[in-house]
Amino acid sequence: MSRGHIVIDDVVKVYDPEGAAVLAVDHCSLEIEPGEICMIVGPSGCGKTTLLNAIAGFHDITSGRIVMDGEVLCSTDRPRAAPGPDRIVVFQNGALFPWKTNLENVIFGPVMQGKLGRKLAIDKGRDMMADAGLSGVERNYPGEVSSGMRRRVEIVRALMNDPKALLLDEPYRALDSLTKSVMHEALLEIYYKNKVTIFFITHDLEEAIFLGHRVAIMTTRPCRPKKVLNVDIPHPRDYGVLTSKRFRELIEETSDAVHEEAWKAFQAGEKEG
Amino acid sequence: MAAALPVGAADGAAAVLRDTTPFGDASEALLARIAAIARPAHYAAGARIYGADDPADDIFVVVSGRADHVFKPEVGAREPLKRVVRGGVFGWAGLLLGQTRRLATVTAAEPTEVLRLDTEALVGLLESEPQEGGHVMERFATMIQREFTLPTLLAQVRRLSGPLTEEMSSLGLTMYRLSLWLKSPRPYLMLIGFSLLLGFWYLAVEAWKLPRFREMPGLTTVVKEWLSPEPTYGLSIYTAEYYQHIWMSIWRVTQAFFLATLLGVSFGLLLGWSRAFKAYVFPVFETLRPIPILAWVPLAIVMFVATESAVIYLAFLASFFATALNTMLGVESIDESYIRAADCLGANQWQVFRYVIIPGALPFIFTGLQISIGVSWFSLVAAEMVSGQYGLGYVINTSYMMVRYPTIIIGMATLGIVGYTTSALVRIAGDYLMEWRVRELALTER
Repeated sequence: MSRGHIVIDDVVKVYDPEGAAVLAVDHCSLEIEPGEICMIVGPSGCGKTTLLNAIAGFHDITSGRIVMDGEVLCSTDRPRAAPGPDRIVVFQNGALFPWKTNLENVIFGPVMQGKLGRKLAIDKGRDMMADAGLSGVERNYPGEVSSGMRRRVEIVRALMNDPKALLLDEPYRALDSLTKSVMHEALLEIYYKNKVTIFFITHDLEEAIFLGHRVAIMTTRPCRPKKVLNVDIPHPRDYGVLTSKRFRELIEETSDAVHEEAWKAFQAGEKEG
Repeated sequence: MAAALPVGAADGAAAVLRDTTPFGDASEALLARIAAIARPAHYAAGARIYGADDPADDIFVVVSGRADHVFKPEVGAREPLKRVVRGGVFGWAGLLLGQTRRLATVTAAEPTEVLRLDTEALVGLLESEPQEGGHVMERFATMIQREFTLPTLLAQVRRLSGPLTEEMSSLGLTMYRLSLWLKSPRPYLMLIGFSLLLGFWYLAVEAWKLPRFREMPGLTTVVKEWLSPEPTYGLSIYTAEYYQHIWMSIWRVTQAFFLATLLGVSFGLLLGWSRAFKAYVFPVFETLRPIPILAWVPLAIVMFVATESAVIYLAFLASFFATALNTMLGVESIDESYIRAADCLGANQWQVFRYVIIPGALPFIFTGLQISIGVSWFSLVAAEMVSGQYGLGYVINTSYMMVRYPTIIIGMATLGIVGYTTSALVRIAGDYLMEWRVRELALTER
């Protein structure tokens, strides 16, 4: 099965090539295995979101190509991928439509694409929400439930489309650490039930090692992998991992690399984002 | 099990429930009904009552003995271990939003007697008494946070059906807000506000006879004229003419407002949606917008031969600008992520427009409509004063020429009342279409 196999091949992204020419991504190559949780770690503003936007189809690339399951998403000739339900983004600040109830949000994808009738979509949506521990909030609006719950609804909304990959853009950045820990386990639980490829951007090394099969530490702008770490802690994982010896070792192994990049970013005065 | 029988008698159960935090101040009647669904049970020392991740079905109230309640680690309770004795309540996970499983493992530390309450039966019972039931749920929430040291994130109890929940239609929601408003001090403060205005008017003109107000008709004169079956100056609530004027103004504003809404919203959506369109049109729009309505009057009269259309045109114009501008700002205010999310989820251009842009801009559109209905009245009256027959502006203007001062005030007050009503109607329509917003605001008690 090669579902959700993403190849990032020598991708370059230059912002404003005629003017200031900021090199955001520099000859970046990375392969994400089907069904893998691949964590991208880098300081704020290092260009990792640019990479995600290129895969999702929100931004052009300057050169190189991105291929998913043999299909070229974008390349030098066709610089922008078409966004689609095979790879769905979960946004940093959440993008549930506040004017739709949680359930209406969840069924949005299949109904818009005409893949499921409203009735069937509602049945499927209810089941998936129940599976993710979200029964009872179907008819609430997103604004009425906690931020942790909103994130879960958003992930369920993505999974409703049976995507090949989920692209998560620092989804837990705004959450406090307690909520975060609950969310991590919830994400893993959802992942174990629906094996999709997860491309997860974060600046939090502990989060990356706790969740990921592999962790790619990126250099600060321009962005490219500096070090790729195989996390050899077996899945399924739970919070016990955080206090394990191996986890601490992996943190030690990588924290220098991360710190170095953070320092560079700080000196360069990158703005958050 | 036999030993548990005495407390199973309903009055005994009620006494136990009385000792608990959630039911402590419930009414006798409610307590009796809850006691009726309580089932006694007995656990030997060391027996496991339930384990973490079991389905959360019953709620337990300890009658005697002691139970050890241990949260699973990922719950994040500040004190994971709690000893529960008489009056303690555990097994409430089923009351939390989105929880269907146990959060803790509970074992009987000594021979323990409990009352078991089926969660759904309890919730059903509380829903039948929304006011008291809501209070019990609040006390549950407090207890869960304080006594069980659960983080606030988790300790959110389900909302009972009833006001503000799913079964409620938008209209019902508006009525609910109205009833809340009537219960709050605000209507009385509003009455005080009006009394102050009227009181000052009365004192300034009739009691103190201040020099500035010498020519002003007094409160009593105006009220007498307004309510008189045979008004001195020919206009009161008993004359057909009065309603003809009101009707005429309302009819004109309605036409102008609806036309302005139709054109203004479409125009504004287009301005916000298409950059090219905005580049062509917006500078022209911004040049025309600041021109006061009165400056349009001569042109309007020249353009429209029939004075009626000229008046409506003027009222329309001001409305149109307010609506179009706010709609455009509304579209531009929509977070880019919503559009991207819709793209990801496979929506086409038209669907994005229909299901993201329009609802996303709605709050701004309705702000625009509130302004629009106000300026519509404003410019209508200006137009009616210059030209036209009938209408409240016309009443005010002719009364001025003919020195019928009380009638001027009657016209003004009527305008105020009718204008207030129309803008309230716009607000209600907005609440009706933006239930999600009403609910969000209701949660923050606004």
